[in-house]
Amino acid sequence: MDCLKNANSGAEILLDYCSGALDSARAAELERHIENCAECSRVVDAQRQLWSALDTWKTPVVSADFNARLYARIVEEKQAPRWRQWIRRITQPALPYALWKPAALATACAVMAVGFLVDVPRLTHPPAKGTTQVETQHVDIEQVANALEELDLLMPASPAPANPM
Amino acid sequence: MSKDPQPSDKYGVQKDMEAIAALERDAELMLRVREGDDTSFALLLDRHRAPVVHFLYRMVQNDAVSEELAQEVFLRVYRSRATYEPTAKFTTWLFRIATHLALNWIRDGKREKGQESLSADVLDGVERQVPDKQLTVEQELVYEVKLKEVREAIGMLPEKQRAAVMMHKYEELEYSQIAKALNCSESAVKSLLFRAYETLRARLAHMA
Repeated sequence: MDCLKNANSGAEILLDYCSGALDSARAAELERHIENCAECSRVVDAQRQLWSALDTWKTPVVSADFNARLYARIVEEKQAPRWRQWIRRITQPALPYALWKPAALATACAVMAVGFLVDVPRLTHPPAKGTTQVETQHVDIEQVANALEELDLLMPASPAPANPM
Repeated sequence: MSKDPQPSDKYGVQKDMEAIAALERDAELMLRVREGDDTSFALLLDRHRAPVVHFLYRMVQNDAVSEELAQEVFLRVYRSRATYEPTAKFTTWLFRIATHLALNWIRDGKREKGQESLSADVLDGVERQVPDKQLTVEQELVYEVKLKEVREAIGMLPEKQRAAVMMHKYEELEYSQIAKALNCSESAVKSLLFRAYETLRARLAHMA
């Protein structure tokens, strides 16, 4: 067996050994290792002493009227109006609700609603260096027609096509 | 050492089978409670009242508060009987509720409000805890000093480490059960326990 400090599960082996949860084969293996390893022997001794120190903490006897008080509360709760029973079930659940789940869903819905409903103004960015900017201008259709006519006047008159006939 | 570090395999298997039978019995009793059988609730209460009160007592270090919180635990178990599903071990569920209430109480800062006098509470506790009435006055004093140091060392641990140690050392829950009770992974529990025991070893080294 490797040293407890080198083994990946060294901490777990130590805890299991001192709490008696390690199977007999592995416990025997650890004990053989401890005999030859001063460092592991020191750690195991320290953990054993801690275990023994923690055992000194005894607990008080439960009050004799514990059950009676509990049953009185249960009866009181059963006799309460239905709406109050429901409120208690919601506000004092056995285990806390996983609030992050509805919160994440609500946030996602809110983001989608903003995306669909709100007209976000488009930002114009300055052109990057080295790129040509194509500017689009609003051009009146009459101006274009006039320009083409003027162009026509400037062009030399083309000869009439020969009659193939 | 509270337990034999080398239990024989035969004894271990027998113990495991008894534990499995007890767990199945708990779930069965709770299912009967769900069907409206209050006698089964009384049986569950008798089986688990002491471990829950003791766990809470060590967590909040106050006698009256621990009983009050334990009452709340069982009240919540009874209140949610209709929706109970045996998806996890009953004890895991029970200790998860107890841990949640204890951590909430500690976080709410009720410790200052509830604990009128630590010294008075310690003395009161010691008086009720000493198991051997044959102790001499000197032995009792030594015991009181030791107990005070242990309580203080545990009380100084971060809440989650304290809860993990209480469930591992005193209630002998499995890593997977502690993980579910604390809502974290098994590896996180092992890490919590290792750090907690390391701190306690250092703080209580002089008691060796």
